[in-house]
Amino acid sequence: MNSSDDFSELEDELRALSDALAVPEPSPPSAIASAVRATLEREPARQVRRWPRIRRRIIAIVAAFLVVLVAATPQGRAAVVSILRFAGVEIRVGEPAPLPSGSPSPLPGERRVSLADARAQVRFPLVVPAVLGDPADVRVADGGRVVSMFWPGVRLDQYDGRLQELWRKELGPPWPEDVFVDGVTGVWIQQQHGLQYSPGAGPPQEFRLSGPTLIWQRGQVGIRLEGPKTVEEARRIGNSVR
Amino acid sequence: MTPLPMQDDEAIARALSGDLGAYEALVARYSAVAHRTAHLLGAGHEAEDVVQEAFVKAYRHLSGFRRDSAFKPWLLRIVANETHNLTRSRGRRAELAVRLGQEPEGGSTDPDADPEGAVVAADRSSRLLAAVRGLPDREREAVVCRYFLQLSEAETAEVLGCPVGSVKSRTFRGLRRLREEVGRELL
Repeated sequence: MNSSDDFSELEDELRALSDALAVPEPSPPSAIASAVRATLEREPARQVRRWPRIRRRIIAIVAAFLVVLVAATPQGRAAVVSILRFAGVEIRVGEPAPLPSGSPSPLPGERRVSLADARAQVRFPLVVPAVLGDPADVRVADGGRVVSMFWPGVRLDQYDGRLQELWRKELGPPWPEDVFVDGVTGVWIQQQHGLQYSPGAGPPQEFRLSGPTLIWQRGQVGIRLEGPKTVEEARRIGNSVR
Repeated sequence: MTPLPMQDDEAIARALSGDLGAYEALVARYSAVAHRTAHLLGAGHEAEDVVQEAFVKAYRHLSGFRRDSAFKPWLLRIVANETHNLTRSRGRRAELAVRLGQEPEGGSTDPDADPEGAVVAADRSSRLLAAVRGLPDREREAVVCRYFLQLSEAETAEVLGCPVGSVKSRTFRGLRRLREEVGRELL
């Protein structure tokens, strides 16, 4: 007699059914392996090429950073399933974390400046998306580490994205999507998620709620674009940066 | 004596240092399970493209792979996401597009023994498959991973990007629904 929660016969039947499924024969493993290798050789990934040279340094920095995070992170945050580090952003995809509800605090040392002043004050080249025109507001924060530009409903952060993760994002599934933008492969996070800024000195800020975001790297500069609701709109803006 | 095949961990370490040959060995090792996963999660006849793309992405993201964890579920997670991206970009629902090939064990291999029984078994299999196909997405994915891909609950959780508890509850709801659909008297 089956109890109502005993599914062992059904489970056996499903496993047997599995053997009977007509999944088409894939190409031989060696053929797939060669095709993958050919793709990787044809378009060597920028990150992968550069990686070995700076890896030790990044590992050291990230290790230190994680120690700080572990110490600073309250119990009960999302259990992390995967971590993706990209363009100065650490993206942790895991169990859906409760979204932060606090109001966003400004970045440390944030000051309102003109676009020309911002260009003079930071050590990396700044871009502006042509389709948006001049920003309504420009702010330099954390000793010139980050420049944020604002238009109605849109925020664009630029920062030195080479060595250190400045931002941490926590999200549940789905996994961020690779998208082609501004001549490179970027990452599109379609869902709302928790965003944390890690200053050059001192503990990370509180998580704030971030909307969908497109992230990419332009030379040394990491760029995160927040506000557009769709990947198409984000790419349109991203492709227009000059 | 043939040399022992390279362990995943060693292959990954070598791939990380730029050894594409080592990565090729990993691809060859996991291409079949990746293909089956893509196919059964909804990529259908485009499964091969999905698999290649997933392996390329896995290589690019290999530095984010935690070396103390298993490669297979990490890879299949990327395969599942690629499959999801594909079906979404095609504007279609991810569905289980698979037919029954041969009869399950004992069916077609010995048709003379009990032809009537074989027909009943075949009918039951196709009804069960149709019922799996008709499950809500999340339950179907969990059932496919657990029984058609024979992944553990923990592996399924990683592949689907959800907590183990969700895998348990989705599988449970899926099984309950299947039993209702197919009829308890047959099971």
